[in-house]
Amino acid sequence: MRIVATSITVFLLASFLTYGLGAVGHANPAAAVLGDIATPADITRMNHVFGLDRPLLVQYFSWLGHALTGDLGTSYFTSVPVSQSVGQALPVDLSIAVLALTFAVVLGGAAGIAAALRQGGKLDRAVTLVCAGLATVPPFVIGIALIVVFSVFLKVLPSGGYVPLGTDAGQWLRFALLPALALSVEGAAAIARQLRTSLVAAVKENYVTGAVARGLPARRVLFGHVLRNAAGPALTVVGLEIPNLIGGAVVAEKIFNLPGVAQLALQSGSQHDIPLIQGTLLVTIGVVLVSNIAVNLVLLRLTPQARRPAGAAV
Amino acid sequence: MRTLRRAWRLPSAKVSLAVIGLVAVLAVFGGAIAPFDPLKQDPSLVLQGPGGRHLLGTDYLGRDVLSRLIEGTGRSVVGALEAVGVGLALGVLPGLASLWCGRVFEWVVSRLADAFMTLPYIVFAVAVTGVLGNTLTTAMVAIGVILAPRFFRIARAAGLGLTRAQYVEAAELFGASRWWILRTHIWSKVLPTLAVTAAQAMAAALLAVSSLAFLGLGVQPPAPTWGGLLSGDLQYLSQQPWAPLAPGLLIMVAAGALNTLADAIRDSGATDLLPGGGEFAAADSADASDGDVSADQPEAKENIHVPVPAL
Repeated sequence: MRIVATSITVFLLASFLTYGLGAVGHANPAAAVLGDIATPADITRMNHVFGLDRPLLVQYFSWLGHALTGDLGTSYFTSVPVSQSVGQALPVDLSIAVLALTFAVVLGGAAGIAAALRQGGKLDRAVTLVCAGLATVPPFVIGIALIVVFSVFLKVLPSGGYVPLGTDAGQWLRFALLPALALSVEGAAAIARQLRTSLVAAVKENYVTGAVARGLPARRVLFGHVLRNAAGPALTVVGLEIPNLIGGAVVAEKIFNLPGVAQLALQSGSQHDIPLIQGTLLVTIGVVLVSNIAVNLVLLRLTPQARRPAGAAV
Repeated sequence: MRTLRRAWRLPSAKVSLAVIGLVAVLAVFGGAIAPFDPLKQDPSLVLQGPGGRHLLGTDYLGRDVLSRLIEGTGRSVVGALEAVGVGLALGVLPGLASLWCGRVFEWVVSRLADAFMTLPYIVFAVAVTGVLGNTLTTAMVAIGVILAPRFFRIARAAGLGLTRAQYVEAAELFGASRWWILRTHIWSKVLPTLAVTAAQAMAAALLAVSSLAFLGLGVQPPAPTWGGLLSGDLQYLSQQPWAPLAPGLLIMVAAGALNTLADAIRDSGATDLLPGGGEFAAADSADASDGDVSADQPEAKENIHVPVPAL
């Protein structure tokens, strides 16, 4: 599988960059942990405890080896295993990102199909205009706007806080709804635009004329023929949106005060807690790559012609 | 310049250039224009509504919002410029070089670009500022590194079509050096496409600066920025629900103008000079208005497995 091979290469490179970033930092963790009263001998001893006196490549491979078995090291400050901190924070982001992705696909898909069906009409122009406008709105502005409307004026949804999905699904939805909506807007706009463009192009194809001429019902032509062919590029856009969703989740967490990976990253960043920084970054990269492989597998199932170049290029 | 003159014929370009000019004036002369000292606190005038002496009201410390908005422009624009500059420097040259410097170099640089593309920019910037220190330049270099693969792809795709053009082959046959070909034949034709990407990247970078400032990264609190203003408003939403409107609108208008300019340059036909370049510029960017991710382009196929951060 070419996709998997490429992803592994990219993962190795990205993880090395992640590790290298921590290594080139001027921050001296031993000095930071021990405080101002540490003697140089203390710092050397602490560096040995952290394993920072070994060559960079040795450190990297030992770190990566441990990381792949689920051990991301220990925080320099709290001595809590990094994997435990990340493991607590990740489900928050994942559950909200999945909800946001669902919103984006449903809203964007509906808007894109509707616009393409009424191509050139009022609805089409409205959708195009709204999508172009939304593309320039930063997600945090949307988040603030949602708080103003739903929490300040309507007082129907909380402006921040979180309950895990496993604890109480109904409460979780109350807290997750606004962040997920704020995150989904940008993706929904991108999906709607792409789907509209490729649908409009697909409707002009010969097989559509053929299907209509054979007397197939319009609904079946749309969902069986046109959408199946036009969905490929839109799905690629979904793949492109995934890093955005995860990046956007950082800001959403700050606005809605969610205990997610981003709060962890921000907190570890302000403390120069390098194992925690590296751990969050590595897990994020892993999530992006895995979801990317998933999107590509769906793409392969959906459009047979996408299979050819992947096989031919090896 | 010729590109801008062509684009100038479109009305949308005139409007967007006027907006960009206005933002530039605010960025350069902001300190002189601002009616009040943006850092001066007035405890007797806390959270005032718009009107009177303070046109946009005052914030939770009694500071003039309009002055803070104007003063913050410079910092936001400089940050975005830094990021785009780093992205151009790290992206364009390797992109063009990858066409000539052999397969090994090409493979390594392309995989590096893929690797950087998987990183969500905010998480990366948080990590970089966490390790290297929380300054505007550090944060913006991080954003620039994430932008670089975009420029790399565009420059590479644009150059790829040109290396097969007949006049380039002819020049090679006549013994022209690579550097000379790059300068005379390739550069001038890649430039309009790069301008489109740079305008889009600038819009993305402005949003990135604002997002990071919102998180408290890159700029330390008392200094005003667009994003910082918004995060300050967040705690007082119940008292002043309209407060985020002004900074939010300013960010949107500035980013919107840049995106409109990018569309105008493309619509003016400047990128058509390039064999397939214009289409690729659209295909590579998820925020292009007619961003048709064409599966028939060889480069698009090669790239289909990697996410392009639209930032």
